[in-house]
Amino acid sequence: MTEVSIEGLTKDYGSSLAVNGISVKIADGEFISLLGPSGCGKTTTLKMIAGFEDATAGAIRFDGQDVVNVPAEKRDIGMVFQNYALFPHMTVAQNLAFGLEMRRVSRSDIATRTARVLDMVQLSGYADRYPRQLSGGQQQRVALARALVIEPRILLLDEPLANLDAKLREEMRVFIRDLQKRVGITTVYVTHDQAEAMTMSDRVVVMFGGRIAQHGSPSDIYERPASLEVAQFVGQVNILEGKVVSPAAGDLTPVDTVLGQFLVRGVAPDANGTVTLTLRPEAVELASADTGGAQATVSASYYSGSLVDYRLTLDNGQTINVQTFPRNRWAAGDRVTIKVDGERFWPLGAPS
Amino acid sequence: MSMRARSAKPFLLIAPAVLLLGLFLVLPYINIGIMSFRNPGNGSPYAPGFTTGNYLRLFSDSFYLEQIANTLMIGAITTFACLILGFPVAWQLARTQMRFRGLAYGLVLSPLLVGIVIRSYGWTILLGNNGMINRTLINMGLIDHPLGLMYNSLGIVIALVHVFLPFMILPLMSALQGIDPSIEAAARSLGAGRITAFRRIVLPLSMPGIQAGCILVFVLSLSAYVTPSLIGGLRVKTMAVSVVDALIDTFQWPFGSAMALMLSLTGALVVLIFARLTRMKWKAN
Repeated sequence: MTEVSIEGLTKDYGSSLAVNGISVKIADGEFISLLGPSGCGKTTTLKMIAGFEDATAGAIRFDGQDVVNVPAEKRDIGMVFQNYALFPHMTVAQNLAFGLEMRRVSRSDIATRTARVLDMVQLSGYADRYPRQLSGGQQQRVALARALVIEPRILLLDEPLANLDAKLREEMRVFIRDLQKRVGITTVYVTHDQAEAMTMSDRVVVMFGGRIAQHGSPSDIYERPASLEVAQFVGQVNILEGKVVSPAAGDLTPVDTVLGQFLVRGVAPDANGTVTLTLRPEAVELASADTGGAQATVSASYYSGSLVDYRLTLDNGQTINVQTFPRNRWAAGDRVTIKVDGERFWPLGAPS
Repeated sequence: MSMRARSAKPFLLIAPAVLLLGLFLVLPYINIGIMSFRNPGNGSPYAPGFTTGNYLRLFSDSFYLEQIANTLMIGAITTFACLILGFPVAWQLARTQMRFRGLAYGLVLSPLLVGIVIRSYGWTILLGNNGMINRTLINMGLIDHPLGLMYNSLGIVIALVHVFLPFMILPLMSALQGIDPSIEAAARSLGAGRITAFRRIVLPLSMPGIQAGCILVFVLSLSAYVTPSLIGGLRVKTMAVSVVDALIDTFQWPFGSAMALMLSLTGALVVLIFARLTRMKWKAN
């Protein structure tokens, strides 16, 4: 199995710097996501790892060996494309056999390995079908099987679920993740869908404008975002201005906000003693009775079955968004009390 | 909408084309078919009564059989040459950035903008014994006697390739454009080098274009008249030229019709065999 190390990787298209000196280490067997909006350089990075794009500068090492000058067909990678890229003139079995034929695997071994992987992706009965005879989800599983049957060093996936409908997408997330764990293959997954990145990855690399904005575990990224951009990209967020009341005692700093005074972790106040705090909508609890907390008026509510989103107006006119379970329901115009755990605030510009 | 109106609609849509084909293709063919069994006339295009003699004459005279074979051969070689010359051009065009595509597309189509008669005359100026190519080669001292480039099958093939190349390139290009570049990338990632990826993936996937282009060029070459008659002169005659000779010069309508039908039938047979051999199982439903 393979450990991937990327150092100072750069792609300069002349008119623009698609990837600007990124460095990241991917451990053997790790599932890592490159997450970012379109044009952030995530796909270019993947193409450079695959060997479809030349790197302008930097190194890509597989187990310490630089592969920058190794052509794509010699890198021993398995790749799954957004549009599956199955060979339309070959049956499912022939699609799977292609990579093995390139490796001069014997005919009988091809048959056993193809059958085993088809079983793994639950497509055993489909060996003799042509791609056009399969549904989108089945085609996706064939693409996955074709990439895995060659037992590559690394699995690369380029937005593989983007063309599937919502329900199938969620099933495939779990499917791919389980399969990856079972096979134990080092995996790089490119997506612009934060939920996909969060649910599937061991680690998420958030990219903006060709640079890495933050990398860490899904909970690091979500709960301790490095910047406002990251915080907003991976979910909804409320921004609150805070004023440091007194110097930090250990880890915790008392901060005054419109929602009251809280002990906040990781605060590095500027010279004026002010700090910008992020607060996720689901970190807030609501109550009808005045239990001692900030008061607000419900201005809108959006019910989505398992959750309800509220837009609240604080008495100072500021709007905050809250997400709760629909145990208690409030309607527009209701008065509510806001309860927040100080632990759930995260300051922007925190030293990481 | 009533059932009747709905079922009538597709018919109404194809009616003009069906009418045109019926009036100007099927009826003439029937007419030619009947004419080919008429008695040859003496001083008139044909005489009363029917005979199979025209076909017997065609099949018993090795001159005409050789002419059919030669015509088919010219068609096949022209088609193959267009395929070999056209494929790289179509490939480049299909994969070129947008900026140059318009210009390149125009260049491919440009031969079609000049009338076929003018282009064929142009080739007689180039290919003749005293033509530009031979004179240049003699002046350079590379040859003593002019090369036989005209009044033979080679000259006809050269001129036909030039005339029909766009008809090969256009269908090839549209087939190649339809191949998603990531399919090729997938083949590379699975361990195929450029040549293997081309042979195993790109070539079979471009088969619909190869098929269409080859059939077009082959059929056009068989029926070409202006170019073979100008380049071939009196010495080499293709079937189409002989048909026109029989119908217009020697006034043998029944024999000319028999030749015309033979040309169509052998051409259709070759196309059918070709289509059968290049049948794409993965395209079928």
